[in-house]
Amino acid sequence: MADKTKAGADLGAYTFEVSWVKIRELIQAIGDPNPIYHNKEAAVTEGYHDTPCPPTFITLAFQEFTGFFLKVLDTLGIPLVKSLQGEEEYEYLGEIYPGDLLTIEPRVESIVEKKTRSGPMDLVTLRTRVSNQHGVEVLRTRSLLIERK
Amino acid sequence: MKGPTMSSYVDFHSLEPDDALPPLKKEPVTKTQLVRYAGASGDFNPIHTDDATAKESGLPGVIAQGILIMGFVGQAITAWAPKRFLRNFKVRLTNMTFPGDSITVEATVAQKTRSSEGLLILCDTSAKDQEGEIKLSGHFELLVPD
Repeated sequence: MADKTKAGADLGAYTFEVSWVKIRELIQAIGDPNPIYHNKEAAVTEGYHDTPCPPTFITLAFQEFTGFFLKVLDTLGIPLVKSLQGEEEYEYLGEIYPGDLLTIEPRVESIVEKKTRSGPMDLVTLRTRVSNQHGVEVLRTRSLLIERK
Repeated sequence: MKGPTMSSYVDFHSLEPDDALPPLKKEPVTKTQLVRYAGASGDFNPIHTDDATAKESGLPGVIAQGILIMGFVGQAITAWAPKRFLRNFKVRLTNMTFPGDSITVEATVAQKTRSSEGLLILCDTSAKDQEGEIKLSGHFELLVPD
């Protein structure tokens, strides 16, 4: 059961470095043939400085490479196998490119218990602000995490 | 399968609310793809890669990472419009996706408004499987510069 006292908690800023190889791995796992992600020249022709990150790339900064997601679960007392993603929202403020050093500032916005047809669940809303090495905010995210009980 | 080229993007100026965008039909999801996505994304939750663990936690077997399906929608959006037009993208994951499911991503124009920076296009989107079950639904907003 998610620890309700953590609502409003600041989870501590951390950094994540964007690499072209990880963009490539993600795009290959999705199976997206879009040339802007595969070929820097194609991206530059379309007005990007370099290969842009695909829309869901930031999920990498939340996962095991950074330990963030596991830290969140640990902080909230949610077992990994009981966790599910309910909603995900991205607000794009600027492009993210290979070599960027992102600063991620996550916060627990709320924790709510909900009764559903499949039993009670805890709904945890996380918000993050993502800025690059130039201090420019490039992304805001909102994630709804579900704990199945 | 070929990727989009600049000339293949949708002409949003000519679209009106309720107009549908061309659906993106994905190949069936494979277990290998889930392992690949786990490695790429760093989401190593074993319910996505190990049937035994998935079953122990009450699932019929491994399920796809929800954000992989969101990634399919991201693929569709950035085939319909240049990625840099994308301002907002939100999904609600409603049903689990299993290996073998064939996902189709659809979208319709919900709103078309003018802003000082260009045309704001709000689209409703969903990802469905071969049975028509909705795996996720949501919306995205594009700013199409003049």
